[in-house]
Amino acid sequence: MPKILAVDDEELILLLYEEELTDEGYEVITADSGHGLVERIAQEKPDLVVLDIKLADADGLHLLQEIRNRYYDLPVILCSAYEVFKGDVKAMAADAYVVKSSDLTPLKKAIRRALEGRTGACEKGEG
Amino acid sequence: MSSYEENPDQIKRADIVVGIPSYNEAKTIAHPTTQASLGLLQYFGDKKAVIINCDNDSFDGTKEAFLNTPTAIPKIYLSTPAGVRGKGNNLMNLFARVDALKARACIIIDADLKTITPQWVRHLGEPLFMDFGFVAPLYVRHKYDGTITNNIAYPLLRSLYGRRVRQPIGGEFGISGELVRIYLEREFWNEEISQFGIDIWMTTQAIAHAIPICQSYLGRPKVHRPKDPGADLGPMFSQVVGTIFGMMAPCRPYWQGVKWSKPTAIFGFGLGEIEELPPMEVNKERLYQRFSEGRTEFQGVWQRVLAPQVFAKLMEAAEIGREHLDFPSQLWAHVLFDYAMGYQHVDGEREQLLASLMPLYFGKVYSFVLRTERMSIQEAEEYIEDQCMAFEDARPYLDERWGNTGDKDAQDSRSR
Repeated sequence: MPKILAVDDEELILLLYEEELTDEGYEVITADSGHGLVERIAQEKPDLVVLDIKLADADGLHLLQEIRNRYYDLPVILCSAYEVFKGDVKAMAADAYVVKSSDLTPLKKAIRRALEGRTGACEKGEG
Repeated sequence: MSSYEENPDQIKRADIVVGIPSYNEAKTIAHPTTQASLGLLQYFGDKKAVIINCDNDSFDGTKEAFLNTPTAIPKIYLSTPAGVRGKGNNLMNLFARVDALKARACIIIDADLKTITPQWVRHLGEPLFMDFGFVAPLYVRHKYDGTITNNIAYPLLRSLYGRRVRQPIGGEFGISGELVRIYLEREFWNEEISQFGIDIWMTTQAIAHAIPICQSYLGRPKVHRPKDPGADLGPMFSQVVGTIFGMMAPCRPYWQGVKWSKPTAIFGFGLGEIEELPPMEVNKERLYQRFSEGRTEFQGVWQRVLAPQVFAKLMEAAEIGREHLDFPSQLWAHVLFDYAMGYQHVDGEREQLLASLMPLYFGKVYSFVLRTERMSIQEAEEYIEDQCMAFEDARPYLDERWGNTGDKDAQDSRSR
């Protein structure tokens, strides 16, 4: 069962992710802040990360860079209420960019694609 | 390949090399040479560095312009033998020298670059000392600069090989010593690669050899000699597209396992505000005219190369007329996939096949201009991303067609 780490500072959003993505057959773990995120990834070894951008204590785009530098091929989906960050060059390091909504269909589709994508080649390892 | 060399400082070892390929660039080469020297000094001061001009025996004084540019970093001039042209040949000369110097990192920059700064050297070079093996550039470009990249090279590379490299033929690259040695083995080498096909060949090889790739943000827009996509295509189109199609058969074992694309790491921020892009003229009338004339000349070839349903869709789109010509992304993906298949079948007539694709490309660019002329650069970028997704969605079409006939072609190609 693929393990998804959902990172968001809104409790209700995390509950929504947990409920709906569990129904889709994923194991869902959550983090309500960006603090210690890279260490959490090392510990939990998720198959995919759903990452908010405007976290109370961190910039999701900066966190994305940190993740990508250490985990070259770990799928990361940016999920933000703001469409404007889609144009930020840093967002290109994400597998997909989804605008937050109570309808998780686009997020679920992005998760399926990211997990189906080829892995194994071009691994940089854990740096 | 034997070559002429001038090495006034008798350089025998280097940690990092900046290579500048050229042919008759006497008027422009001093600027990138100066910036390369400043960048190497400022950011790689603890390393042995050298700047190499790999030239095509230019007759306009490129060698003198390069060697006479005052720099703190030593320089080497290399040339292919008289009469041997091509950027790919230049770079192979460079790579042989990089390998002989036992360099860990090689940066390539174009000789006609106007906007290069020392930071470009840093951003293309630093990732090579951080376990990345291939660095592609990432810069802001005018929405109509790089139309081959936007409409062919990027979507095809991404949908085939599953790695998002936004500027796969950008001209500026960082390459590790390890990857240089892979390049020197010249897998799948041919005449097109020895010319302008070299950039897409290098990027594809890096992906297919599982080399860790990053894209380096260069901040400033790339400004070089501007090219109107309807006028200045020249041989570049057939050399780039021919290289992509030509590599598909031997690289089939790699791309057959790819389903969706993955992003690459991005390196280098904090370069300040993006400067305004210089204006760029596009002659829409000429684009449409070349599409329309091509229809008269090549409609028979299109009918033979394209699957019947794709040809029918194409004719339907063409009938819409000049005001509203639309070339939907899925149709464009199917056209390119059909041509890729056709390329595997016609051994002696590949040039003609690619010539018949060119008017379709003009039609696609015309439609792209119509769709995006009121868009900002960012909106046009999102349009290109959507187009890439359409290519990825269309992959089963290619897989099915290739599965029916392509494997035999792949074997034939390998044995040739």
